[in-house]
Amino acid sequence: MTMTSASTSSSPLEARDLRLAYDDRIVVDGLSVSIPRGEVTVIVGANACGKSTLLRALARLLKPRRGTVLLDGRDIHRLPTKQVATQLGILPQQPIAPEGISVADLVARGRHPHQRWLRQWSVTDEQAVEDALQATGMADVADRPVDELSGGQRQRVWIAMALAQGTDVMLLDEPTTFLDLAHQIEVLDLLHDLNRRDRRTIVLVLHDLNLACRYADHLVAMKDGRIVAEGPPREVVTAEVVEDVFGLACQVIDDPLTATPMVVPVPNGRRARPASEPAGAPDPALVNGHR
Amino acid sequence: MDATVDTPATPPAADHRRPRGTGVTRAPDGSLVVRVSGGLSARLDARSVTVTLVTLAAALLVFAWAMTLGDYPMSLGDVVRTLVGQGEQRHEFVVRTLRLPRGLTGLLVGASLGLAGAIFQRIMRNPLASPDIIGISNGAAASAVFVIVVLGGSSTEVTWGALLGAVGTGAAIHLLAYKRGVSGYRLVLVGIAVAAMMTSITSYLLTRAEIYEAQRAVVWLTGSLHARGWDHVRSLAVALAVLVPAALALARHLRVLDLGDDAARGLGTRADRARSGLLLVATALVAVSVSSAGPISFVALVSPQIGRRLVGGSSAALVPSAALGALLLVASDLVARRAFSPTELPVGVITAILGAPYLLLLLARANRIGSAG
Repeated sequence: MTMTSASTSSSPLEARDLRLAYDDRIVVDGLSVSIPRGEVTVIVGANACGKSTLLRALARLLKPRRGTVLLDGRDIHRLPTKQVATQLGILPQQPIAPEGISVADLVARGRHPHQRWLRQWSVTDEQAVEDALQATGMADVADRPVDELSGGQRQRVWIAMALAQGTDVMLLDEPTTFLDLAHQIEVLDLLHDLNRRDRRTIVLVLHDLNLACRYADHLVAMKDGRIVAEGPPREVVTAEVVEDVFGLACQVIDDPLTATPMVVPVPNGRRARPASEPAGAPDPALVNGHR
Repeated sequence: MDATVDTPATPPAADHRRPRGTGVTRAPDGSLVVRVSGGLSARLDARSVTVTLVTLAAALLVFAWAMTLGDYPMSLGDVVRTLVGQGEQRHEFVVRTLRLPRGLTGLLVGASLGLAGAIFQRIMRNPLASPDIIGISNGAAASAVFVIVVLGGSSTEVTWGALLGAVGTGAAIHLLAYKRGVSGYRLVLVGIAVAAMMTSITSYLLTRAEIYEAQRAVVWLTGSLHARGWDHVRSLAVALAVLVPAALALARHLRVLDLGDDAARGLGTRADRARSGLLLVATALVAVSVSSAGPISFVALVSPQIGRRLVGGSSAALVPSAALGALLLVASDLVARRAFSPTELPVGVITAILGAPYLLLLLARANRIGSAG
């Protein structure tokens, strides 16, 4: 990884020597990372490894104790809140949809950073919302209340809101949590398409390593507040790294459909029987009696 | 201004439905948008406007009607003629000195309570979060009773005492609830505790008071518009001239504060600062109204709820709530004056009689749904 000159850096968002803490508990220390422009970056790691904390710091929601976050080469904490909001959007883990709000109304609130006292609803605002609804396939339900939508659709509405904000960089904190598998894929496909359409820089925190491998151009693996490995999924995801980061013994094989790495956990002594074996064969777990 | 980053994602050629640059259109929340050349645009929620106008008209009717009634009844025509300076000499004093300032004080106090209640309830995401429940009115009351009972202060001094009490209590609640920013939930809990403390201070002071002072204190504590003069109207008008525009300016942030603090910050609003500003304005609104009319209960609680129901959608309904507060208070005052005439009740008695069943209804319904929010 090279960081030649800050001003002409190709990264729209980078962190240098971050120390992040809640009260007295230091969660991340001495972390540096630079997010590649126009790509999908996925941050993975075990629970409480500091990945969401890092995302919050990148989004300026958390002030670092030490170090800086640079947005287009400038210290994000020295920029006005409103200006940051025109360059970088964040979809938090659990945003609140006000009771009874319609899809279009919620998406329109993404335009807040572009509005002023005497420019409360401009043509650009209208266009951006229309566009975001189209891009996320929500134009047909624009007038429906958000409460009536399914979990997957609701997440699309929030993504549409972030999209309407019209920022070059979009951060999403676990956008697929609480969704069933089909809706997870739906949301990730949408983000992938948005990235390819506008070359928008997207940073995600994800739980599912296999999905992360599928959708990431750049994968960042974290453990105990540090980055263990980063790069293309193919280079990052090895059995050793997964063992180290997740404490999980596994084999890494090729995903048969996308040829991206796919993590198959070692069965750990239970149920380790090929499906082709005759049903009458003794269960190895019972025979070996170990975990 | 931010044209460099504000480029639409698709080139203009691809537009199938090009929005109009000038004229009237609709925003996604249903509000009317007026655009003029030069890129200026303003939005108005049509339903809010309707509700506000109808309510205000009703409030003015009640206000005018109230001025005809009293120990010295007169016709509406007489009242109007007196107001425009064409009236008879004998009406002058009754209308201009007695009834007009009382009615105006009622309108202004009601409006500020309605507006303050709407802001509190919206920020704390809790329909019960009104200044008479989270301790601000109680703080004003304790302070005013202290001035009456211990210092034996004049009515002007009582006014100042109430004002300082409200602001001081508001600040104390804010500080006590502060923990890496203020959350609505903590504010409500701390506020209820502070309210209980302030009420006990008031009770203690009353037990120590001489009978005359105690009576004066109790009348003040009920909340009354009796004998309100032009001094009250003037100070209320000056305060509202500052506070209402401030509230409306900050109200823009409610649209994103509604989405949670992280989302609001991500959308370019300093959530804590915006919320503190709104709380400060709402507290000041309560302070000026309590200092002019005593701690009139339930207006701040009920008006925003009616307002939100009438306007519908996700609107904060600040202005309609203010109008409803004004209507509610002048109507209650009319009842207070006439229901048992010639005996006149303090208006606070009527608002409590009307408001208490509403609160019970609200609690019962919240229980049925299984949440207090």
